[in-house]
Amino acid sequence: MKYIELFKTIFYKEYIDWVRYAFNTVMHLIAFYIIFLVFFLGLNFAMAGNPKFGSAVEGLIVGFFIWNYVSFAYMTLSWKIVDEARAGTLEQLYMNPFGFEWISIFIVLSDFILELIFVIPMLFLMMVTSGHYLNIDLITILPLIFLTIAAAYGLGFIMGGLGLIYKKIQSVGMILQFIFIGFIAAPIDKIPLLKLLPFSLGTRLISSNMRENIPIFQMDGIDLFTLLINSAFYFAAGFLIFKFCEKKAKEKGLLGHY
Amino acid sequence: MTILEVNNLTKIYKDKKETKALDNISFSINKNEIVGLLGPNGAGKTTTIKCICNLILPNSGKIFIKGVDAVKNSSFALTNVSSVLEGNRNIYWRMTVKENLKFFAGLQGVNKKKSVPYIEELIDFFNLKEKINTQARFLSRGMQQKLAVGCAFVRDTEILLLDEPTLGLDVETTHEMRGLIKKKAKDEDKTILLSSHNMKLIEDVCEKVIIITKGRIVVMDDITNIKNLFAIKSFVFDIAGDLAETNKKEMEKKFNVSKCIANGYSTTIQIEMKETVEIYNIMDFFKSKNFDILRFETQQPDLEEIYLKIVKKDEIH
Repeated sequence: MKYIELFKTIFYKEYIDWVRYAFNTVMHLIAFYIIFLVFFLGLNFAMAGNPKFGSAVEGLIVGFFIWNYVSFAYMTLSWKIVDEARAGTLEQLYMNPFGFEWISIFIVLSDFILELIFVIPMLFLMMVTSGHYLNIDLITILPLIFLTIAAAYGLGFIMGGLGLIYKKIQSVGMILQFIFIGFIAAPIDKIPLLKLLPFSLGTRLISSNMRENIPIFQMDGIDLFTLLINSAFYFAAGFLIFKFCEKKAKEKGLLGHY
Repeated sequence: MTILEVNNLTKIYKDKKETKALDNISFSINKNEIVGLLGPNGAGKTTTIKCICNLILPNSGKIFIKGVDAVKNSSFALTNVSSVLEGNRNIYWRMTVKENLKFFAGLQGVNKKKSVPYIEELIDFFNLKEKINTQARFLSRGMQQKLAVGCAFVRDTEILLLDEPTLGLDVETTHEMRGLIKKKAKDEDKTILLSSHNMKLIEDVCEKVIIITKGRIVVMDDITNIKNLFAIKSFVFDIAGDLAETNKKEMEKKFNVSKCIANGYSTTIQIEMKETVEIYNIMDFFKSKNFDILRFETQQPDLEEIYLKIVKKDEIH
């Protein structure tokens, strides 16, 4: 019961953050939409009359939808940890009987839900703009997205942990965000080993639902299991690296520094 | 009953060079005690507090809260400890007064039945009612500090660690904060470790004081005992008229005269004594010289003077 109350407390705080920093969020979405438009118009120009144009646009929408979510998740978590340290509130977050592990997991869960509110309308906006409408089967998409995004949170934890020690890491974080495009678009059909990268297999499975209407219970069990292991690995590895950085920060007395 | 015990705590920061922030310090605090932690910048006050909060890991030593190892069992420790570490930086600036209090009560897992009326009480107590729905960033510095202290109280822990709670506040707000902390601590039987550079705050609020310099405890005692220990028995006299040079020289030869200032109509003389019985010799001397005593008073050093003496003495050693 106490943990439910703690989740409600964290969720409410995260919600207030989203609302009070709404300008940032809106600007982030506008920037994403502009980048999508650039790609979409580029595709229009390059593939006009090509019979594969429709398929390419659908791929672009799915890819952008996942990139948008992954970037939100990754940036929100890593920047949040650094921002809290800079603001002076991170130490207060550490001072609770539940442990920072629970606080961070509840932050992740809250943000996953709140990000959905921003990412889903963006998906519809992309579909309306392109005139290509994809299948939205929430029962299939939500668990797949959750698993795919878990890897983004793992990477967010790594950057957050490094931020505790090295502070100014935003520029590296921004670059990584673009490397994610490579992960999302990785040709896993040609090179199956690329399934080990974060987001690549998740994107493929989500795409097969949104573009080919394949529900989750008809998907390859090995693929689903691989995705589960892949996400759990990146999340756990990220979290462990964060804990290691946290220990170093506590040894060096850096938790409250900015 | 001891509620907080620090045993042989040592913290060394290893950067380009090694800095010993805490050098084997030990102290204990009893339940319901308010203890002041004094020391110059870099003495190790904040490191001590952050080690107790489990925010900094010590190299060696133990911290016990209610007899339980606070480093090994941080969950138990943090059920009993809350803190204000950097004043107005400890609150969420984009959240309102009420939202901040609600959040910190929830973060501590305080039961809603208890926290809801307590939040209202704290808002009243810290005179924040008019700003209840104002975001913290729009509050004055004094109000932000009060909110930060309120957020520590709302966690409803037995022990409060307040690191510089009046830093950067004007005289009036400092005075108000002093009264608020003192009253709240007494009303709710809190145990407080209060670090500050503000001697008046420490002298007024605390019963016991720990003075720390260069990571070592140099004095730890009741404020009254420290004052008695360091009390320089000095007396100040105002004598009518100017003193003849011969009388002045004779007086300086016989007694430890720290001040002799003629100010037109009278002369102010301050004499330091090893023993109070010396007052009889002084009086005999004054009588023999027919000095007309206009005023006579004893001089008691305040905590600030004592503190400066201790710290300077330690710096020489």
